[in-house]
Amino acid sequence: MRPIQLVLILFAAGFVLFYFNRLRSRLLDRLLFFVLAVLAVVMVLQPDWATGVAEFLGVGRGADLLVYLGFSGLAFLWLGLYARQREMDMRLTELARRLAKLGAEKPKKK
Amino acid sequence: MLKKRVSHSAIFVTVAAHNEGRIIRSVLRPLVALGYSIVVVDDGSTDNTWRQLSGLGVHRLRHPFNLGQGAALQTAVGYAVEQGAQAVVHFDADGQHSPEDIPGLLAPMLAGRADVVLGSRFLRKEDRQAVPASRRLLLKGAVLVNWLLTGLWLTDAHNGARALSRRAAQRIVLRENGFAHATEILQQIRSLGLHFAEAPTRIRYTEYSLKKGQRFLHAFDVFVDLIIKRLLR
Repeated sequence: MRPIQLVLILFAAGFVLFYFNRLRSRLLDRLLFFVLAVLAVVMVLQPDWATGVAEFLGVGRGADLLVYLGFSGLAFLWLGLYARQREMDMRLTELARRLAKLGAEKPKKK
Repeated sequence: MLKKRVSHSAIFVTVAAHNEGRIIRSVLRPLVALGYSIVVVDDGSTDNTWRQLSGLGVHRLRHPFNLGQGAALQTAVGYAVEQGAQAVVHFDADGQHSPEDIPGLLAPMLAGRADVVLGSRFLRKEDRQAVPASRRLLLKGAVLVNWLLTGLWLTDAHNGARALSRRAAQRIVLRENGFAHATEILQQIRSLGLHFAEAPTRIRYTEYSLKKGQRFLHAFDVFVDLIIKRLLR
């Protein structure tokens, strides 16, 4: 085993541990995350398998395939986070608006 | 749309103020004197705007933090509707609008010809001439952008003076917190099938209002906001 493989596997394991520990989320999310981590470890241990898939898809190297998929995934992630951010902004606005109305001061009658 | 007589106190002038403490009293006093109901939303100012609003005879509300002009206007208009407003006027806090233009803004609406009346600085010769050349180019560009995004061809863009009937004020709901609300209003006029008209307004270009006004880069921000919104919703 090359040193880089060990480093990457430790990274993946650390990620899974952190996710399961700190971000308690739904079973489905955990399952998906676990499967992804296992896939990552497999790719690290057996780079040739990724190359096999890449060739099947018409990409030269496994590493290139991972870059393409990685970027697509990141783009989706970014969009999702952005949409969520906007939604949070809207909720925050609504909250601030209600607070403002609760504290509204009317003109004193003369 | 019905022809109607509306008392001045049922006409709510709404003002979104962010760090306008230096000037806000002198902007509001003439409006109060005309007998309109005034709603000012202090949009999380960090200066003395809130204190300046006391004792003026206006409704004052405060956002706990800065949300943007669109959000503040929406708060003000929503509040005005809850207070029974029969008509709502948007009026800028920086002193660039003239209170004398308000009856003209209301007229097409009260006559039953429009649900929304949009102020324009390009309808009267003397108003047109008051627009600095650099602004004119920018504004005409914005007119084009507005047309592309909303299908409404107007003579002016980003003119903060507007009049809305109660019905329009209830139905138009601004979700763009920043400056993009100016275009969002047009989109909603279109999608809600509201009738609109334009009315002349004078814009006073003071050093203060030019400094506070939208800068060229804002225009780009607004454009990006609107495009992204289109993609996401």
